[in-house]
Amino acid sequence: MTNAVAADGTITLEVSRYRPEQDERPTFQRHEVPYRQDWVVLDALNYLKDYVDGTLSYRWSCRMGICGSCGMMVNGVPKLTCAVFLRDYLPGPIRIEPLANFPVERDLVIVLDDFMEKLQAIKPWIIRDDERPLEEGEYLQTPEQRASFEQYSMCINCMLCYSACPVYQSEETFVGPAALALAQRYNLDSRDQGNHERNELIWADEGIWDCTFVGECSTVCPKHVDPAGAIQQAKVESTIGWFQSFVTPFGRKSAKE
Amino acid sequence: MARPYPRTVSNTWWLKRWPYRIFMLRELSAVFVAAYVVLLLVLVTKVHDGAAAFEDYLDFLQSPLLIAFHIVALLFVILHTVTWFQAVPKGLPLRRGEERVPPALMIGASYVGWLAVSAVVAAVFLL
Repeated sequence: MTNAVAADGTITLEVSRYRPEQDERPTFQRHEVPYRQDWVVLDALNYLKDYVDGTLSYRWSCRMGICGSCGMMVNGVPKLTCAVFLRDYLPGPIRIEPLANFPVERDLVIVLDDFMEKLQAIKPWIIRDDERPLEEGEYLQTPEQRASFEQYSMCINCMLCYSACPVYQSEETFVGPAALALAQRYNLDSRDQGNHERNELIWADEGIWDCTFVGECSTVCPKHVDPAGAIQQAKVESTIGWFQSFVTPFGRKSAKE
Repeated sequence: MARPYPRTVSNTWWLKRWPYRIFMLRELSAVFVAAYVVLLLVLVTKVHDGAAAFEDYLDFLQSPLLIAFHIVALLFVILHTVTWFQAVPKGLPLRRGEERVPPALMIGASYVGWLAVSAVVAAVFLL
């Protein structure tokens, strides 16, 4: 033990460990760590790794709520561990587990392939039917047009919403909150013309219609993206599109005006 | 060595946190709303059957069991209403130019609208 930190007492962490080469299933390890008022949970994990047990595995990078790497279950709730303070969990213990609803790769590291595939499936980029030559300049949009999707563009892909979602928990095929919010972000973008490419997946059962509007995705979102809101709005659009398909059966569904 | 550990879910996952408990109660509220509608529809048929049938049905409705049901159903309907109004700004994001209409304003307006409609209904039936 070192005196690298001037601590005000200690606090107990219960950290989930899973070492596939030796463990049948995840178990909890209890550790006393120094308590400091200005420490976030990630600081305590870094202390553990640096001074107590260097074999502990977890993801982190920026420490400032932008990279979206350090999401974990803290006392059963998905949190960015760089954004929650030890002082919020006094007197402890603090139970730290890998993000729920994802397979565990090792310790606090989850397998995120499923999310990455779903993210790609909704084509989160600007799709153009008529690509303009470069010399004609950029695609302009008004501040108002930008404001219509800006909230949904704040997603940092931290996957807390997937961990909070009981639908994703029981339906592996559900596209899920973050990917659907991002689909809405591009569908609402005035520069984009790709709705018809996205909506086949988004408007399907495993898209928005699997959502039962629990709403926890929006509650746990550290960037206030509100995926639940995005999905409900997409449901309204999908319903209108369904009715429109009777009126104009051969027209393209949901072209932007 | 990669050997991902699959996550399992207990059947009682929804008991573990308040947001999930409220969600399940909200879903359950539909059962009570439906049961109340059935009682109400039966009431309409009793009106059709005449005064005696109607009076018998009123006596039936006043049994302690059914009064208890109505109290529980009322609590569920209130939960249903509150959660529904909270959902309004989620599904219908109104904008004024670049600004979003504050969700609290939309929820408040929903309650005002609800009170207005209730007042009209009360006026039609009570006055």
